[in-house]
Amino acid sequence: MDCVVTGGNVKVLAKAIHSLSRIGDELYLEPQEDGLALRSVNSSRSAYACFLFAPLFFSRYSTPSGHAFRCKMAIKSVQAVFRSLASLEKTVEKCHIELDGQKNRLTFALHCKYGLLKTHNLSFQDSESLQAVFDKDSCANTLRVQPRVLVDTVVHFPLSLEEVTVSLSDERVWFRNHVEDEAGNSQSKAMLTEMCLASDEFDHFAVQAQNSITFCLKELRGLLVFAESTGLPISMYFDEPGSPVVLSVTDSVLEVNFVLATLSDDPSLRKNNTKRNKAYQGKKQNQAASPPPPDDFLNDDMDSYLIAMDTSIAPGTSAAGPPSPPSANHTYSHQPAVACHRTRPHSEDEEEEEEQETDDTERPPNKKFRSLFFGSVFATASQMTNQTVTSQEVLASDSEDDTQTESP
Amino acid sequence: MPLSTQSQADEGQYTLVASLDNARNLSNILKAITFKDHAIFSATPNGLKVTVEDNKTLQANAFIQAEIFQEFTIREDSVGFQVNLTVLLDCLTIFGGSTVPGVTTSLRMCYMGYGYPLTLFLEEGGVVTVCKINTQEPEEPIDFDFCSTNVTNKVILQSESLKEAFSELDMTSEVLQITMSPSQPYFRLSTFGNSGNAHYDYPKDSDMVELFQCTKTQTSRYKMSLLKPSTKALALSCKVSVRTDSRGFLSLQYLVRNDDGQICFVEYYCCPDEEVQEE
Amino acid sequence: MKFRAKIIDIGCLNHLTRVVTTISKLTKTCVLRLTADNLFFVLSGKVANGGVSMWCELSQVNFFDEYQMEGVSSEANEICLEVTAENLSRALKTVQNSKVVKVKLTKKHCPCLTVAAELPTLSSVSRVVTHDVPVDVIPRRLWHEFKEPSMPDFDVSIYLPPLKTMKNVVDRMKNLSNFLVIEANLNGEMNLKIETDLVSVTTHFRDLGNPPWGKDPGSQDGGRSQGRDPDSMAHARVDIRKLQQFLTGQQVNPSKAMCNIVHKRIVHLILLHEDASLQYFIPAVA
Repeated sequence: MDCVVTGGNVKVLAKAIHSLSRIGDELYLEPQEDGLALRSVNSSRSAYACFLFAPLFFSRYSTPSGHAFRCKMAIKSVQAVFRSLASLEKTVEKCHIELDGQKNRLTFALHCKYGLLKTHNLSFQDSESLQAVFDKDSCANTLRVQPRVLVDTVVHFPLSLEEVTVSLSDERVWFRNHVEDEAGNSQSKAMLTEMCLASDEFDHFAVQAQNSITFCLKELRGLLVFAESTGLPISMYFDEPGSPVVLSVTDSVLEVNFVLATLSDDPSLRKNNTKRNKAYQGKKQNQAASPPPPDDFLNDDMDSYLIAMDTSIAPGTSAAGPPSPPSANHTYSHQPAVACHRTRPHSEDEEEEEEQETDDTERPPNKKFRSLFFGSVFATASQMTNQTVTSQEVLASDSEDDTQTESP
Repeated sequence: MPLSTQSQADEGQYTLVASLDNARNLSNILKAITFKDHAIFSATPNGLKVTVEDNKTLQANAFIQAEIFQEFTIREDSVGFQVNLTVLLDCLTIFGGSTVPGVTTSLRMCYMGYGYPLTLFLEEGGVVTVCKINTQEPEEPIDFDFCSTNVTNKVILQSESLKEAFSELDMTSEVLQITMSPSQPYFRLSTFGNSGNAHYDYPKDSDMVELFQCTKTQTSRYKMSLLKPSTKALALSCKVSVRTDSRGFLSLQYLVRNDDGQICFVEYYCCPDEEVQEE
Repeated sequence: MKFRAKIIDIGCLNHLTRVVTTISKLTKTCVLRLTADNLFFVLSGKVANGGVSMWCELSQVNFFDEYQMEGVSSEANEICLEVTAENLSRALKTVQNSKVVKVKLTKKHCPCLTVAAELPTLSSVSRVVTHDVPVDVIPRRLWHEFKEPSMPDFDVSIYLPPLKTMKNVVDRMKNLSNFLVIEANLNGEMNLKIETDLVSVTTHFRDLGNPPWGKDPGSQDGGRSQGRDPDSMAHARVDIRKLQQFLTGQQVNPSKAMCNIVHKRIVHLILLHEDASLQYFIPAVA
């Protein structure tokens, strides 16, 4: 492979790599006929991201036709090439990327102002194809929104927050922080935040299934950094809880897909979900009465309440008297954080037969099941709760030794 | 001013008195050489030299000429002592080391002689701070014997261009390799890290290169950990002169312009990494 | 028990946020007392927090456009809550550009102070964000622990120098020592001192002025500062981190800042703002 990136596109490429670094530790690089694919997947396989830069993105793009070549390397080392993001635009005039399969060397040459030439020779490992399978078009819900709207939304959530829940009605979208209901006490101390957006804030709003999904916020933030810098809208495709959500950014020379696992709904809670959907529908018919908190801004009296004060419970424990049944909204956040649904494994251009998985709705996560499939790969990631399975080949190559290859 | 009244009584007893209207003119340049606590101060009628060393392989010197000070009185040919540099810097910036124009800390630095503390009187906005820093007997600084007649290669660059390179250095590399040559690649910085190697090449006719005097191709490696502290000096400086001698010793001279536009110098000497044989 | 308040004025919101953020820098949790006229943020000096105590008083009319509360009962018309200050601070910080912010006591998964804000948007429908900050309701029998601390019978009371200057000095001193001696006299002089094996540093402030406490409660006739030699210093040795925390955390831009010293016992710092006051007590160490 031999390609050249110039001008503002150098920064786009750099931003893409920084964005991918929010996903995983390794960068999978694959020069394809239809462009350069940069991918990453997280250690628990619950998040996958792919940036495909079309040949037109480059001022020169050539790949040896006929034989597929793929490699992977530590994403940190590629990030280091583009370390000074801020000054990149001012200093770098041209970036030349060259892949030498014989020497196992990927070279980034940055031609900078004042004739300074920065050459980074990175070692890499061969890798199999990394592909997540998803079908955006068959998703029941499709939203498209300017990145600024999402940036202004996630800013309300603490950086430490891991997961966010997105709920849909015909006319609105709610973002809430997802709090795990492990120890009842610690849960009660967590601040709950909820943000409501009206459908007309979206460029496109097509909702067929009014449901809620919960996914990791970190990756969304990663994509937002990229989308905001390029000013491209973000599309969001999803179905029911447990099925992955796909976040996409596209333009004529670029296609970005983030595939994130979502928490599966416990069957016992599905009822609640339905109830809540009904509540939403009810609200539609009668805008004034609004049962879920998102609208409580408009009617204060309903949620002001009396606390019986004669119980003399010391502070520290809850002195609020017997807990009243939680509202439908918060019941949702009590659901177990168990990932039970996986995207179907997929092998691209490979003969290996993929194992068919059945939905596993038990909790706690079935570790036996996992170790069977992922073997040593998951030795260090056993606490992970949700995963998207990518192709088997990836897993195989991942179990190789670490990438401490010697420099030439 | 409390500053003057407090010190005048003792005036005659001090062997060294140095005053600055702006303490930053001293604190800034000392920051450029702060990588170890112990600093050797040696004062002569020409000015003040402050030396910091690491393990006989690295030495940094800051020179503040007598003219930089508003008052520089020395009653002996040379006065020497050793103090904790980190403590001295905290004292010099006691009022925050403000960079706001018009807000400056004035300094009067006095030393009575062996066994006495280094006394600082600092004043800003009518508030006075008195610091007494304990001193020790000075050690003899190492002589790196870096002689300009033995210099094989010399390049002077605008600091700006090296700052970027130093901020991006691959710290997983144990060494920084410097190549200077009359032919390509002229001036090259290389690192060899976990994930690969990197080369930064500066053409000799770059606008960033002010002087290029290379007589032979020379490649030497220096421990990254030793060169890292020099980044502080680089950050403050406007020009840097990179020299190597026939033994592969490295001299980095930084030209630092202070708040008042006066020029001071900081100099780093570094031994080449022993494990690499000379080319 | 009911509480509901509304802020429309962005300046008030901003000011309240700064006060709450200041509190959050001083303590993890504190007690919020709501009365018909005031809000109090209280930290009572316990060994667990190094003996430091805090009392912050806000007059509700200066912050809220609407303010309704119903206390526990008509004769005890107060609400007393334990709250994580950082949560409240964060909730307020994210709604700085709101059109209107409401703060309410609500029953969610647990008792909460709900901060609900209507944010500006291009949409025809408001963008609404709510933060439910969990609180513990403090039963009435424990209220006595959170009463306003009485003014100590100080030896010296003095106005503080500009807090920025004091902060810079204390920051550097903290690099050099763990303890600091603060001393002051009735002649408007205050010194901050540290001393270690390596260095001794003294910063002298003068012409600071001494507040005329006169017949104010607390400095009653015969108080310790009466008839005192104006040049004689009262001093207290304190944990430098406590003082630094106070100087670093404060964001209230006080119109007056003062310090009362009970010789070898306590340092009492007071920040006065027209809408708010903050008192902070640091115990002396030997």
